[in-house]
Amino acid sequence: MFSNPYVTSFFMVVLFFNMVLTLMVYIRNPKSATHKILGLLGMTISIWLFIFFLSLQSFSQTTSLLLIRLSIFMATPMSTLFFLFAYTLPNTKFHIRKNELLLLIGLTGLIMIMALTPYSFTSVDIIDGTPQPQAGPGLIPFGIYVLISTIGGVFILYKRLLRSDGIEREQLKVIAFGIIIMYGLLISTIFLPVAIFQNTTFVPFSPLYTLLFLVLTSYAILKHRFLDMRIVVVRAVVYTLLIVVVVVTYTSILYGISLFITGGETNIRSSLIPMLITITVVLSFQPLRQLFESITSKIFYKDKYDSQDVLWKLSRTMASTLELRELSHGILKELLSSIKISYGTLALIRSSSIIWVDSAGKTHDKAFKGKDVFTVIHESYKPKSQDEQIIIFEELSERKNDIKDIMREHEITIVLPLVVRKELIGGLILGEKHSGEIYSSDDIDLLKIVAHEVAIAVRNALSFEEIKRFNITLEEEVKDATTNLKSANKRLKELDLLKDEFVSIASHELRTPMTAIKSYLWMALNQSEQEIKQPLKKYLDISYNSTERLIRLVNDMLTVSRIERNKIELNNEKVNVADIVQLVFDELKISADEKHIAFTFSTVEKKKYFTKGDKEKLREVFQNLIGNALKFTPEKGSIALRLASRGKILALSVTDTGSGIPQEEQQKLFKKFSKIEYSYSKHSSQLGTGLGLYISKQIVSLHNGTIEVQSEVGKGSTFTVLLPELIS
Amino acid sequence: MVTHTNKPSLLIVEDEHYLRELYVDIFAHDGFEVDSAEDGNEAYSKMKSNEYDLVLLDIILPGMDGMQVLDKLVREKSVKLDNIVLLTNLSQDLVIAKALDYGVRGYLIKSDYTPDQLLNEVKSFLNNNHA
Repeated sequence: MFSNPYVTSFFMVVLFFNMVLTLMVYIRNPKSATHKILGLLGMTISIWLFIFFLSLQSFSQTTSLLLIRLSIFMATPMSTLFFLFAYTLPNTKFHIRKNELLLLIGLTGLIMIMALTPYSFTSVDIIDGTPQPQAGPGLIPFGIYVLISTIGGVFILYKRLLRSDGIEREQLKVIAFGIIIMYGLLISTIFLPVAIFQNTTFVPFSPLYTLLFLVLTSYAILKHRFLDMRIVVVRAVVYTLLIVVVVVTYTSILYGISLFITGGETNIRSSLIPMLITITVVLSFQPLRQLFESITSKIFYKDKYDSQDVLWKLSRTMASTLELRELSHGILKELLSSIKISYGTLALIRSSSIIWVDSAGKTHDKAFKGKDVFTVIHESYKPKSQDEQIIIFEELSERKNDIKDIMREHEITIVLPLVVRKELIGGLILGEKHSGEIYSSDDIDLLKIVAHEVAIAVRNALSFEEIKRFNITLEEEVKDATTNLKSANKRLKELDLLKDEFVSIASHELRTPMTAIKSYLWMALNQSEQEIKQPLKKYLDISYNSTERLIRLVNDMLTVSRIERNKIELNNEKVNVADIVQLVFDELKISADEKHIAFTFSTVEKKKYFTKGDKEKLREVFQNLIGNALKFTPEKGSIALRLASRGKILALSVTDTGSGIPQEEQQKLFKKFSKIEYSYSKHSSQLGTGLGLYISKQIVSLHNGTIEVQSEVGKGSTFTVLLPELIS
Repeated sequence: MVTHTNKPSLLIVEDEHYLRELYVDIFAHDGFEVDSAEDGNEAYSKMKSNEYDLVLLDIILPGMDGMQVLDKLVREKSVKLDNIVLLTNLSQDLVIAKALDYGVRGYLIKSDYTPDQLLNEVKSFLNNNHA
């Protein structure tokens, strides 16, 4: 009944498709154990189908018997491989104990050998052109082995299905569906009709059933990279078509030639060997294969890009700049346009903060929050994990819904960590492709290489930025230092000017009494020549007073120098200000009485007015202030000393009834060589040095206090010393 | 000693009363018609209202100092400055240069002179003036 060439051709084509598909699945990932076993399983199934198909043809009794035995021979490893496939799925590594594997192989080999002996099928009868084999006792262990391994495999898949979730569950569901369909159809349309009714009508369709299983299983394995499956299926279809075209052409030519030469029929079977050679030639003929590949690429993958080209362009972009901004713009632009991605974000992190974010492509409605960027990038890299360092949306389990939610919200499809020397420096976050297709494994492989290169380029750019920043900082520091030097220099120049001025003023001040001494001593010495007879004593008095003033001046100048060089040392202790004032008061009382000045000292409260200070220095300050008041208060005037405590501050006020100081002169009072004293000099025989108030103010400042002045011309002045009160 | 039909008039501007007193005595004794001022303001108003043959002007003075007096007179252009001799103990190059620039006759450091030397200096200024 299989003499029908159409049925035969159909069977052969589908069978061939089976083989190509399994080969393609294997080629996609030859390192994965799952891919390997599935490829092997598909190949075994195809061979088995071929033998099974042949066994149903009408050959000689001996050939038929051998073919039938061979079909059992091939069915055994098929069961074994199915079990191993179920056991291994979806791992890429093969985990089985050596002993168990040896047992499995031994058992398989034993049954396979037995299949070739008369124990399996004793003999075969050809009835109506259909071989009818006689089963032997060896079929029982075969049946048991097939049953156990198949049920075992299904059981393992079922258990895994129950435990699984997410993508794995989906995978297993599809595989289970494929198995049910395959076995269901095999049993209902082939096994039962053949066994019970010897009806072989559906046998030619059997490759379709196994093909369904293989397609579904392959799909399940590659599901998350659906495009891979498309490539596999399309390539398989194209190759099959190619073979069919070649075979048909070849057969037609052969048939035509034989018709012309022999004028007789040709046996298809006799042309089988040349046909197989042709197929081999076609498959191994590189230019032809490439031609087909490029045609299929053009038709089916318009989005296809040349990985080498993309890498080259990216490398060029990365080599062209060290500026982070330019670099990230260039990388994103190149990636988005080459792989046709809707959007991309390049984010860099340092410890727990984001230091750089750059996006390109379609913008989001929702702001891509820094925290989310950080979370997904961190999730993409597990330093200790052996797993792939990448997050793909479709592969995420729904259990890890937090990450998946973030990715869904921002339409992120892939997160690639940027890692340099095991340190996570950032991430490349990509949206979906414009085509809506899922990233293929080719894409992923390319992106992994890209991520690696980007990480290094970015690291370099960051280092460059750091150096640049360091340079800027350095420049600023140099600039600051220069500015400081300049202002210090300016200050020094100012100080130099001040010093010059001080020297010339000081020399003026020293020359003044010296002039008086010189002039009056000259008068005394040349008295006899003078017609005016001023008393000699007067000349000597003036000379003496001027000498005294000169000494005071020199002393004060030394004190000023000491103050200004910070060389003055305070002998600090707890002192009662009232005691010091009383001391000065008693000292000056006599002078006041001589001038008939009402001189009083009062404290507001009956208490001790403590401060922390140098007793001697404070006494000098009070002497200076009260002395000034005595000097400038005319006879029968009054001077009042009042000591009070004003909330943690002690205030000693010296109020006189002198002539007062004009407002504008008050500002200059505490400066060196203030000339205010001159206005009053006619009231006093003892000239000041012009340094007393300056020194007093400096000393009080060293005590964290100050001196204030209030005055009205014609009425008098009040000088107030304020000192911090020491509360015991 | 000097017999002038008209006594030469002299304004002494000096804030130190010991010195002012001494200078007034010495010049009056020598036959000068002596006037004195003890601060800048007094000096300015006396120089505005009287014409002196010579003015001895101190620089460091209370209120308006000697340089301020000169500034004011220069601005007003009402009084000639060539009868002014600075008599001071201040030796500040810039100040001296400025004063000479204004056209004052001379510059004397007080402590360099005994009273009789000063008297001779003033006389020689006056003689040059008349020559």
